[in-house]
Amino acid sequence: MYRLRFHGRGGQGIKTAGRILGTAFFRAGFEVQDAPRYGAERRGAPIFAYVRAARRPIGERGIIRRPDLVAVADDTLVTIPAAGVLAGVAPHTVLLLSSSTPAEVWRERLQLPGLLLTLPLGEVWEAAAVRFLGATLAGAAARLVGVIPREALVEAIAEELAHLGPSLTTENQVRALAAFDLLAEHAGCVSEGPEPSAAAYEPPRWVELAPEGADLAAPAIHLPATSEAVPTGLWRVVRPLVDRSRCRRCAWICSTLCPDGTISVDGDGFPVIDYQHCKGCLVCAASCPARAIRVVPERQAARVG
Amino acid sequence: MRDKKPSFPKPLPSTHLLGTGTPMCAGCGGLQVLHEIYDLLGPKTVFVNAAGCLTLLAVYPFTPFRGGWLYTAMAAAPAGAQGVRDALDILVRQGRLPPEENLEVVALTGDGAAYGMGLSATSSAIERGLDFLYLCYDNEGYGNTGQQYSEATPHAARTATSGGPRGFMGYKKDLFAIWAAHRPAYAATVAGAEMLDLARKAEKAKSLRGPRLILALAPCPTGWDFDPQDTVEIGRLAVKTGIWPLKEYVDGRVVHTKIPRPRLPVEEYLKRQGRFAHLFEPVRQEELLKEIQAQVDAYWARVES
Repeated sequence: MYRLRFHGRGGQGIKTAGRILGTAFFRAGFEVQDAPRYGAERRGAPIFAYVRAARRPIGERGIIRRPDLVAVADDTLVTIPAAGVLAGVAPHTVLLLSSSTPAEVWRERLQLPGLLLTLPLGEVWEAAAVRFLGATLAGAAARLVGVIPREALVEAIAEELAHLGPSLTTENQVRALAAFDLLAEHAGCVSEGPEPSAAAYEPPRWVELAPEGADLAAPAIHLPATSEAVPTGLWRVVRPLVDRSRCRRCAWICSTLCPDGTISVDGDGFPVIDYQHCKGCLVCAASCPARAIRVVPERQAARVG
Repeated sequence: MRDKKPSFPKPLPSTHLLGTGTPMCAGCGGLQVLHEIYDLLGPKTVFVNAAGCLTLLAVYPFTPFRGGWLYTAMAAAPAGAQGVRDALDILVRQGRLPPEENLEVVALTGDGAAYGMGLSATSSAIERGLDFLYLCYDNEGYGNTGQQYSEATPHAARTATSGGPRGFMGYKKDLFAIWAAHRPAYAATVAGAEMLDLARKAEKAKSLRGPRLILALAPCPTGWDFDPQDTVEIGRLAVKTGIWPLKEYVDGRVVHTKIPRPRLPVEEYLKRQGRFAHLFEPVRQEELLKEIQAQVDAYWARVES
């Protein structure tokens, strides 16, 4: 059985990638399971989708813990533990990153035993590139698995993206096939992982909890603004930076318009952005009358900012 | 006004009450409006939240609020508000709650509840003269479940349930007029992008007692298909093209608080959003565009006559 996992952020086409690959497998004669997984969070939050495909009925359920392929749309997620990109990566696991950073650099950084490939599929902060990321990643994954014919991929995209209309569907097919062709030399590098035995199954452990009073056990929240413990800054792929030399200190504008209220004003009247929580929507940069808020990709931000 | 903090109605707050770290999408227009209004209403506010996107603000153990929050079924926010109001009144009357700790009760719902499912409960609450503020964040569709059409969806918009070359065939319901017909204490339309207009109206609503509506346009990057940084620009264009009139009902009269002059063609607003892309591509749908413009023109002709 093939067990594949796609990682990305909400809005980057991860759910679509899973659906396309699942349908392509199905058209190639496989039994298939595909499902996205995300919480209540929205665009920008880490999500993943998984696909199982086998020549016989699939009895396995739930999320994939031992993936044969991990395909990642957004390389900024690799270093975020909560995104779980590297969870369960085994020696046979192939890791495919959409990244403009060369594969050697990633190999050096991650020191993984298995094959690591990169594809510069487009920068995640460019809306034009993100539009096609899901289908492109599915095309790449289809080739790496090596058991999906071109036609099955083309038909799967037509089926899954029919609602977008013919011109966008065609554009998605073209990009997916380009990725499919580009990875020809790695065709079939993804192998079916070992079947876990029932004997190795570890049942969940029973945890004894002391009974609590209703005031503690009830889901009531007694502290204000506890949401601030949630670091939504991890959603950000680009960072707004205030250029104090250009800032006119009309910080009430950016501070009021920031949907998340992450901009406060310091004693000198300059805006201060809370990067722990800024989601990188860039409303501040777009609304700044003095154009004093620069935008840099998050991975460069550490160097500039 | 550029560099000076406006003193109208009083300096806009530069620290914000609503906590960061919420799971709303980056660039959420609904969250923007809520955080702007919450700053003006102050912490002595209890929110009664009908099912919708913003319900996800408070997911145990996290909340961005400084005070009370109650979750109700989709159609029941005004009924929930009645219960909370009654309880507070009784506590004050019995001397168990000091009058200075009394709370403002705010029903917080999206357009699905406000225009549709919850309208009957709203009508009854206004009829009973319930002392509450109704804040509707109108993103013109059931955004929480993937932007199916609601009774607030504008003509010709594409939604998850309105595909095809002409988009949504119905017309947006006039909720403001429905409220005004009930002769409430106050009703106003606002846009998060027009923060001074919004601030003045929030102050006004706060100073009155009885049923009050603040109906806020909530540009939705996910459901309307535009880049999150354009949330403010889209809101401004809605006002400048006249498709979202800013107005208030008070003392039996409707007053427009911002009359766009010159009024931009409505196309300027539509073409920035993917949900209207089919009006321009692959062929320009002149007839539909003219119809939408004619409706906006007719509205303002009535206003200015």
